[in-house]
Amino acid sequence: MIKLKNITKIYEVSKNDKITALHNINLTVQEGELIVLKGASGSGKSTILSLIAALSKPTSGEVIVDDKQISKLPDNFASRYRRDNIGFIFQKYNLLPTLSVRDNILLPLVPLNPHAKEVEEKIQRVMKRFQIEHKENVIVRNLSGGEQQRVAIARANVNNPKIIIADEPTANLDENLSHHFIEIVKELRALGKTIIIATHDPLFFGFADREIEIHKGKIVL
Amino acid sequence: MIFMPEVLTILILNVIFGVFALIAFVLSVKIFLKWDLNSTNKSQYKLEKQSFLAATIIKYIFAIKVPLFLFFIFTLDKISNVLTGAMCAAGVVDATAYGTYLFILKVINLYLFAYWLMLHSVDSKEEKQPYTKLKFAVFIGAFFFFVAELILEGFMFSAIDVDKMVSCCGTLYSSTSTSYISNIFLINTPLLLSLFYGNFLLIILFYIVKKRYLFAIANLLFIVVSLVSLIAFFGTYIYELPTHHCPFCFLQKDYYYVGYAIYALLFGGTFYGIIVGFIQSSKSEKNKNYFISILLNSIYVILLSLYPILYFIKNGVWL
Amino acid sequence: MKNKINIYLIEYAINAILRQRFKSFFIVTVFTLLTFLLTSVFFITNSLRYELETTVDALPQIIVQKIKAGRHYDIDTAVVDDILGISGVNDAVARVWGYYYFENAGVNFSVVGIDRYEKQYKNSFTKLVENFDFDDINGTSTMLIGSGVKRTMQSSYYKEYFNFIKPDGSLKKVQIAGIFDAETELESNDMIIISKDLFREIFDIQESKATDIVVKVANPQEIATVVSKIKLLFPDTRIITNQDLKVSYQNIFDYKSGIFLALFVVALFTFFIIIYDKSSGLTSEEKREIGILKALGWTVDDVLKEKFYEAFLLSFFSYSFGIGLALAYVYIFGAPLLRNIFVGYSQLKTSFELPFVFDFQTLFLVFFLSVPIYIAATLIPSWKVATLEADEVIR
Repeated sequence: MIKLKNITKIYEVSKNDKITALHNINLTVQEGELIVLKGASGSGKSTILSLIAALSKPTSGEVIVDDKQISKLPDNFASRYRRDNIGFIFQKYNLLPTLSVRDNILLPLVPLNPHAKEVEEKIQRVMKRFQIEHKENVIVRNLSGGEQQRVAIARANVNNPKIIIADEPTANLDENLSHHFIEIVKELRALGKTIIIATHDPLFFGFADREIEIHKGKIVL
Repeated sequence: MIFMPEVLTILILNVIFGVFALIAFVLSVKIFLKWDLNSTNKSQYKLEKQSFLAATIIKYIFAIKVPLFLFFIFTLDKISNVLTGAMCAAGVVDATAYGTYLFILKVINLYLFAYWLMLHSVDSKEEKQPYTKLKFAVFIGAFFFFVAELILEGFMFSAIDVDKMVSCCGTLYSSTSTSYISNIFLINTPLLLSLFYGNFLLIILFYIVKKRYLFAIANLLFIVVSLVSLIAFFGTYIYELPTHHCPFCFLQKDYYYVGYAIYALLFGGTFYGIIVGFIQSSKSEKNKNYFISILLNSIYVILLSLYPILYFIKNGVWL
Repeated sequence: MKNKINIYLIEYAINAILRQRFKSFFIVTVFTLLTFLLTSVFFITNSLRYELETTVDALPQIIVQKIKAGRHYDIDTAVVDDILGISGVNDAVARVWGYYYFENAGVNFSVVGIDRYEKQYKNSFTKLVENFDFDDINGTSTMLIGSGVKRTMQSSYYKEYFNFIKPDGSLKKVQIAGIFDAETELESNDMIIISKDLFREIFDIQESKATDIVVKVANPQEIATVVSKIKLLFPDTRIITNQDLKVSYQNIFDYKSGIFLALFVVALFTFFIIIYDKSSGLTSEEKREIGILKALGWTVDDVLKEKFYEAFLLSFFSYSFGIGLALAYVYIFGAPLLRNIFVGYSQLKTSFELPFVFDFQTLFLVFFLSVPIYIAATLIPSWKVATLEADEVIR
């Protein structure tokens, strides 16, 4: 379960120029919920996602995940929390273009130094599920947009995380692929994962458990 | 002044170490004064980043220091070829007033740095990072020892004079010489051996009853006691010569490099023993450290004891 | 402290190195070049030192020369008897030797005169006396020459004999009776051995004079004492012991390698600065990559470890490659060009083999002068990269 308590996040662009991305936000997400964050760009959706993924620290307030305060974790522990609990699907996928599909999916596992067998199992499982195993050794930049997305999703799932976070996942996709992505999301939800998606694609509205609208750093009730 | 390339190498590395240690020192002071894990200030985040730099520097220095120490000993040995009277590294150490102090300081620093690394490892495993201030305070202290070592090393190498005659280990460690090392030989053998084995038994005893601090102190003592008994007694059985007490010669090929095993075991065993007392850690960690200490120390004692015993079996008499 | 080695991390590091083709190539090239140069110098000096040790031991213990007005002069052979009278002296022999300048090739030959009925001061000479006859053959005198001399003579079309030009301008034809190998290469090159009489004829030296006198002492510890006694008897002499020779050659080696080392240090320092500079300048691509890794759960320590592996792999590979090249360069190809800096005491520029002397300490020395320094240069830049805020980078 995810709780944001009185979260304020201020970015300091320069000494006199401060941007308040979030104003005293309070938000709770139950386990297994599928949440959609709506709002224009710059409204603060991405900031919320970063906070939940412990990619950034709040200026004030607390982020609590499964009764554990993650907002004040030292860097190493924050990374480990992220590695074990979060699957992040970025807007631009953020794959390493010169590496193969397999090497990209492998990335979150590398610091764990697991046994080769375990690694194989995990990678194969996730490539099969997201139907990208036939391109295992292809260099990512030679893939189509849809294939790249599947790699991104596979990578986000390789550690079997409890929480899936997606930032504008369908912004660069055509309608066909967008529908396909929604099918995958439904699959993931069926697996019991907690899913938080930041988007302004209307395709998402309607089947989420909750829709939360963000406007200028505040939740619109 | 000796201009051998080996000496220059050591001095160059020392300069690099000095510069980096200074950086780590400045960072340590900042962290010691201002570290507050609960604060969400920008400055605290900056400190957290800087603590990584300090830790990396210290790890780097230690990683190079260990092989460099061996290299240092070999360099001394090479210098002994051009220094009249010195037949091995021991003679070179004695060639200047600084030699012995430098050597002791180097060993102390090895222990200090290893201790710091242990602290760091334990600290990093805890979310609350409870030892951060402590570990950097330790480094602040260790820094002064380290700088002292660097300076002393510089002085020692510049003071080595090829033209001055030097005493070799034969006279250094003999019972008739006047160096204060020779005071070791005034202790009579049965007393020395009972101190040695007695200390070891104490270590075993404290291991069984799991008294941390006593265990650590016993290990600390053991360093001194075993070095003394090594030079005064066991060494002679390794060389099979009652007058050969040199602590360096058995590092050489002629003695199957057994010196490395001896010193590694002693350092490892006593280090883990001291850690048990000086670092708070989980039960399993502690037991692991206890075990390693006892194991290494025991092998050390057995190894040393084998020499006189085998000698007696072979020859029917003691030296 | 007891982490198992992470193969995946190493693989990633290797991959990262290969992905940055140009930068990696540049570093490896420069680094290999530096280690190569340094190691070659050390190998050469080690080999020469070894040669030297063997040469010096073959040198006479004491050499007595007459000095007049600060210059070397022919000494009276009568001095030999006086020296033989000093207690502790085993033997004293008058030597005739010198240099003959061969104008055509522009080189000096060392010429040594031996008398076959005398006790030789060098073992190799004893063997020569047994094998060759120095008397005239078919009316011409004969000589033995070293391999280097033969080559030089042949290049001036002297194949079977040689014409010496005497001080009065007349020619003396001498047959080449044989070519010899002295104990070490450094010696045989430029030497010509002839009978003492022939020598005296060619260089116009009187019967009662000699170039210098070599003295053999029964107990090497006594050399200093004997030297002082000779000095007392003959104050106008200069006396050189083999120890003096050894030390002075050693000093020349150390001096030259010292200069080289100083230059090397400067080069290394420059390299350090360049590396630091290059590693510090992070392309946006690199920043993005690290940001992604951290977003995926890599800790700062993981990134640092990876950067360390990169640095270590690069530097260790370059180091090994440099050593390999140096081995080939010095011991297979004979170190052309470089060794001319060090070999100063052979007047003939001919080739000789550098003996293979392998010294572990040299390898460690070069290691400590290269790998740790490179890693030191990457410490701060790696840290800067590893502590980047992932958040800012992936937006």
